[in-house]
Amino acid sequence: MRRGLIAWSKSELPSAVFEHRIARARQAMAAAGIDALVLYTNNSRTAGVSWFAGFIPYWSEGLLIIPRQGTPALVVGLSRRVQFWLEATSHVPVHNAPRVGTEAARIIAEGAPGAIVGIVDLNGLPTGVADDMTAAGGGLRLIDATQSVQQLRAAAEPCEIALAAAAGRIARRALSLSRADDQEIGPLLATAEREARSLGAEEIYLAAAPDLERSRHLRRIEGQAQLGHSAAVRATVAYKGHWVRMTRTFRVAESAFAEARNRFADAVAMLPDPKGFAAASSWLIEGCRTAQPLEPLAGSLVSEPVALPPGALVSVQASYEIRGAPILIGAPALLGHGGEAAALLCQPDFADAARAC
Amino acid sequence: MTLAQERRQRLAAAMTEAGIDAMVVYGNAWQGDYLRYAADFGILEGHGIALLQANGEFAIYLDSAVEFERAEAETTGVQVRFARDIAHGVGQELDRIANQNLVAAPRRFLPRFLTDETRRYSLADGTALMDSLLMRKLPIEIECLRRAAALADEGYAVFREAARPGRPQYELVAEVEAFFRAKGCPDNFMILGSGGVDVRGMTPPSARQLAKGDLVTTELTPAIDGYFAQICRTLVLGRASPQQQRAFGLFLEAMEAGIAAVRPGATAADIARAENDVFRKYGLGDYVTNKYTRVRGHGLGLFVDSKPQLLEDVDLPLEAGMVIIVHPNTYHPEVGYMVLGDALVVTESGAEVLTRTPRILFEVPA
Repeated sequence: MRRGLIAWSKSELPSAVFEHRIARARQAMAAAGIDALVLYTNNSRTAGVSWFAGFIPYWSEGLLIIPRQGTPALVVGLSRRVQFWLEATSHVPVHNAPRVGTEAARIIAEGAPGAIVGIVDLNGLPTGVADDMTAAGGGLRLIDATQSVQQLRAAAEPCEIALAAAAGRIARRALSLSRADDQEIGPLLATAEREARSLGAEEIYLAAAPDLERSRHLRRIEGQAQLGHSAAVRATVAYKGHWVRMTRTFRVAESAFAEARNRFADAVAMLPDPKGFAAASSWLIEGCRTAQPLEPLAGSLVSEPVALPPGALVSVQASYEIRGAPILIGAPALLGHGGEAAALLCQPDFADAARAC
Repeated sequence: MTLAQERRQRLAAAMTEAGIDAMVVYGNAWQGDYLRYAADFGILEGHGIALLQANGEFAIYLDSAVEFERAEAETTGVQVRFARDIAHGVGQELDRIANQNLVAAPRRFLPRFLTDETRRYSLADGTALMDSLLMRKLPIEIECLRRAAALADEGYAVFREAARPGRPQYELVAEVEAFFRAKGCPDNFMILGSGGVDVRGMTPPSARQLAKGDLVTTELTPAIDGYFAQICRTLVLGRASPQQQRAFGLFLEAMEAGIAAVRPGATAADIARAENDVFRKYGLGDYVTNKYTRVRGHGLGLFVDSKPQLLEDVDLPLEAGMVIIVHPNTYHPEVGYMVLGDALVVTESGAEVLTRTPRILFEVPA
């Protein structure tokens, strides 16, 4: 459940950005013969709708409709009682309906009976929403439009890079200020949580390996957990719809962590070629292609990696063994264009909490 | 036997009784209760689909690599599988057992690929079966909710201390969330509102700064072992005005009327009506309609807003062991949006109230 600051900053995300994206979508729709583009959103699949409309649901679900002509519409399951919040956080007009599929179909059919409707991630659309859209009539024909949108947003725009860097700064500061001084991990996590949310994070997920000698798996901590000789914490931070992950290992020699940092940075610089991660015990690259903010794209676990597009924003994490010590490290990165090396967007250097990315 | 094992045993027994060969259970960060019940995994990112078979095979599919890693660490007795194309991954497995009696819960949230009529198998709706298990709590589940309710009380004390003029709303949430994290509570549902007659509901925090005289409303819903308990309270920054005190008196009377109506056999509608009749008595019947309010309470458990919903058209009878919150939250025309709610367990004779924070209109220094 989203509990952080969900707000539209017009200085960080001007209306013109959304208008340009919608215009580009319409060009793609024309080329594909699509009359209306539809994207679904809920608490965990926010990135598609937020890219076009800024809106992020903390609760319930919604459908964004981009018609080839006319005003886009956001249909949400939230009530009119929170209309003031909806209108402050959405670039497009909001329609409230208990059954978003039914209302979306009605709006589309009203403007274009028998329309060809391109749905991003049609296979993943919830059954109830899909059934409602079909049952609403209007002769709508639903097709998948995932690739069209993926191509539109493959390379990050300057505002996306800036917002991801802001999220990275929050994550880094939260981890920098956290101390592994106690016997238990609770106070460390509490510090990270407070810091991130006080800096305006929309969300922060903390996963920890409290005792790296026992397990390197990062998990959500329920109850208390004792800190071991070394521990790792990953902060996943969302800021204005942009998600990054950063990982810090605590209670390790600075020289060992510095060596891990260098290996990590060198491996990132070689991307999209993943060969730099051959020395890592495990590694993972995630990014946003459509609706899932951080989708696994490549990694030691990913048997069918996705081609990493030039200019894409990604979050990278890796695990190393440095002189017998397990070290987990992670940070957001920006892939290069035209042969340029990829670069870390935010350095995983936690010594200075005030350092800019 | 652990809580997860007890739940799984109960689910397996229900499947056997209903002649179900395999249950497909879906979860995401918004609706994670069914998945948590079956697989004891509190999903945060992506889709999660568990497949529980009558022959004992049990697997959970996740399309997020970090969730896969988490599930390997956090679950026992279940095979964890990473499937980036989760719909096809699960679909292949269902094709393999297509001739069996398969059900899904909650079916309406399952990716449409899996329920498409062209599939070789057929997936009936098993949501009601799981809803029944989710509503009717085991003693061990109720104990988790007692602890969560105590934590909610503590969290509200932190909220009261944090609420001061000039602070933006999101800083209050930061304080409460930090407190919960320090206590080992990884999840909480929390919305709030601040202001006067301009405020019609609660939302995630904004950058709006608290001001003297504001009514500040919140509902805190921390989770212990996945079980969410909720408290709703209103405070005033400074001294409450006579109008605010009078309005609060109405909410208190409504909530207490609702709680007094709770007993096995009373319906959700009875409870809602008891609350709403108080508003009607004072000529404020308009403010218990859906123009101003959503529900007059709801179930609590592995989801923050479970069944039964307390509405005048919900005829579900309450049973001992159900856990609900009674909250006549709504807009008051003189003062703005107000909330008041306590979590309770339905007992054989009535109700055991779980949250203990005083039922007063709190005043904090301004």
